[in-house]
Amino acid sequence: MKYLLLSTALTLGAAPAMAETFKWASTTDPQTMDPHAVNSAPVLGFLNNVYEGLVRRGKDMAVEGALAERWEPLGADGWRFHLRQGVTFHDGSTFDADDVLFSYERASSESADTASWFSPVSEVRVVDDYTIDFLTNAPNPLFPSSIANFMIMDRSWAEANESVVPAKDVETFATRNTNGTGAFQMVERQPGLKTVLEPFDGWWGEVEHNITRAEFTPIQNSATAVAALLSGEVDLINPVPIQDAERLGASGAVNVIRGIEARVIMLGFGHEADTLKYGANAGDPNPFRDARVREAVAKAVNVPAILQTIMRGNAEPASQLVSPAMNGFSAANDRRPAFDIEGAKALLADAGYADGFGFGLKCPNDRYLNDEAVCQAVTSMLAQIGLDVELDTMPVSNYWPELRADNYDMYLLGWSPGTFDHEHPVRFLVTTPNAEKKLGSWNFGGFSNARVDELLPMIQSEIDPAARQAMVDEVTAIYQSEHTYVPLYVQPLVWGTQANVSVVQRPDNFFILRWVTKG
Amino acid sequence: MTRMHAFLSSDFFWKFKRSPVAIVSFTVAMILILSAVFAPLIAPHDPFNPGSLNLMNGFSKPMEPNQFTGDTFWLGTDDQGRDVFSTILYGMRISLFVGVASVAFALVLGVSLGLLAAMAGGRTDAIIMRLADIQLSFPAILIAMLVFGIAKGITPVHLREEMAIWVLIISIGLSDWVQFARVVRGSAMVERQKEYVEAAILIGRGPIAIAVRHILPNIVASVLVIATISLALAIIAEATLSFLGVGAPPTQPSLGTLIRIGQGYLFSGEWWILFFPAGTLLALALSVNLLGDWLRNVLNPKLD
Repeated sequence: MKYLLLSTALTLGAAPAMAETFKWASTTDPQTMDPHAVNSAPVLGFLNNVYEGLVRRGKDMAVEGALAERWEPLGADGWRFHLRQGVTFHDGSTFDADDVLFSYERASSESADTASWFSPVSEVRVVDDYTIDFLTNAPNPLFPSSIANFMIMDRSWAEANESVVPAKDVETFATRNTNGTGAFQMVERQPGLKTVLEPFDGWWGEVEHNITRAEFTPIQNSATAVAALLSGEVDLINPVPIQDAERLGASGAVNVIRGIEARVIMLGFGHEADTLKYGANAGDPNPFRDARVREAVAKAVNVPAILQTIMRGNAEPASQLVSPAMNGFSAANDRRPAFDIEGAKALLADAGYADGFGFGLKCPNDRYLNDEAVCQAVTSMLAQIGLDVELDTMPVSNYWPELRADNYDMYLLGWSPGTFDHEHPVRFLVTTPNAEKKLGSWNFGGFSNARVDELLPMIQSEIDPAARQAMVDEVTAIYQSEHTYVPLYVQPLVWGTQANVSVVQRPDNFFILRWVTKG
Repeated sequence: MTRMHAFLSSDFFWKFKRSPVAIVSFTVAMILILSAVFAPLIAPHDPFNPGSLNLMNGFSKPMEPNQFTGDTFWLGTDDQGRDVFSTILYGMRISLFVGVASVAFALVLGVSLGLLAAMAGGRTDAIIMRLADIQLSFPAILIAMLVFGIAKGITPVHLREEMAIWVLIISIGLSDWVQFARVVRGSAMVERQKEYVEAAILIGRGPIAIAVRHILPNIVASVLVIATISLALAIIAEATLSFLGVGAPPTQPSLGTLIRIGQGYLFSGEWWILFFPAGTLLALALSVNLLGDWLRNVLNPKLD
């Protein structure tokens, strides 16, 4: 059998049609190759090709086994995972339960951006080499699906290369090197320029793709990306600029694949900041602490106009932090404040800012579709109610550190729930930041509401769907009436590929190489 | 005999009248410069006042009423609903201001250092000119980007937007002083050997007075020529920096910023966002350059 496989591989390898180099481009370069350092879609999406979790999501987003073959509830408060045997890492070392324990310790450590995934976990116990238990504080029915992006790293590799702890803003060995169990291994990494992957011969799964080498290039300029696709220089671009989608699709030379992404684009505020940091009123008391001012912003932003022009009718307005396709979407609260300039002005006057004020808006310019254009539009809309916005846009690699350092008065954020559940943004964005409990890690503004903090663990452990939804509805009503964030719209998903390429587009905007066929 | 009459009967004006290139480029440059200077009077909209923009006017085609608002714009609008014609006028102001100011900065720096090198000679001369040589071996745009990056890093965060234009001027100016210094040094060394300078030395005038009162007036023509040609280059340098996204802030677009924005819509059929600003930049840089060329031929007949 082994001989047979070998000879097949040789024949296939000899056929030139099989030697397919696949090239793809996207606006954002993954900031790091460390799967636990930055919890953002470009990083996790890319590394899903290299590293694997205990479970993973299939083409239809359903959770399936990866490094765990099966799992079962362990009484009421925990889960037992039975691990796959015979799996090796790219460097040849064997995968076992100890690597899972190590990865858990690494991914839940204080410097890990993924720590909040493990806020429900009380203890992890290795039962034997291929069995491991995750004990939770309370019943947690969603736990296995919440760790689909929890990627397993080899203990001996990390220890040998002094990368035992992930680092967000400094480099470790794991920032530029990888050693996963996934279908592809990284052979070259030039941050910001090129990252090259090749299939891993020792992968345990069934190979569906036909590519022999894959090259990723970040292309920030959308017109350049389109030109690269049209000239055949790349096989896939993500995203296709909204303004070009229709023309490209009609041309027939390339395929345009559309979908609705799970990502909601929103405006966030400095809730805790005592003073404004930018603009004409820098140093004055922070008006955004007043919910009326936040509501005025919500009313002054003309979302339908943004969708009509900048998004060319390709996106839907958002009323809450998740899109209607997500589990736990609060249908009871599916209303967003209507565009109302007079109402917004009245609210500002009510709050004591009848003459408006100046402040700073921070915005990425290479992260979300047309992010800079949207921020400019917000700037001119807010000017109409007397708010003088100083707009500062920057690439995303500078953007997150600025937000973490609280260098903003207002900012733009997109959020895609990794678990496809409303609980996810509540845990990350609405709950009071608490490093010890691993909560609120992306709640940059420091919004805090006692009732939300009280409801979150109850939502996490509630088994009855109706009771759970009632609590999610209550949280939604709270953050809507507080205008914690101003949700704008659900981002559309538009990819462009060469006509001879077939790919699978998932709503989480992860590009999975092992489903790509070319030719 | 008024001054005006003297000018009209001068060789200079006589040559101007007989050069179609000079007349056309002078006219074009004057139209562009004047319309930039008087932009607030000419422009139908104020593109730098975000409160006056209506997003629904975005992507209006030139000379056609917008499908939502019915407003018509002579050269169309960009993605934010900004009138392209008004934005070009205002953008040209920034481009011209940055160009003139950075050339003035380079001129003052280059002329002073060039004169100093020529008058002092010896080690001072060697140090200044070797510095100039080193800088000349780097592309000017690279130096400008380097200076811009460092300056942006050291300006306080809350002053960045206000300082952006000044930082831009200094970085372009610093990349351009070498041209002035080299020419001034060369001319000044030639002048220094002449009898009138020796006479001035003999009657006991100091080196600074000689440099400023006697030598400088005699080399002003060549400085003027370099300044004109540098102006065209500085305008292009500013456009390049803004095109690369490191120049003028997005809310106060210069011509280069407009071209950068327009480039994103090149494939989607909204050609006017790119075409008109690019055409204006071309006309401005070309006319100033041709004028500088002609000026060099007239003021420096030895070169012919």
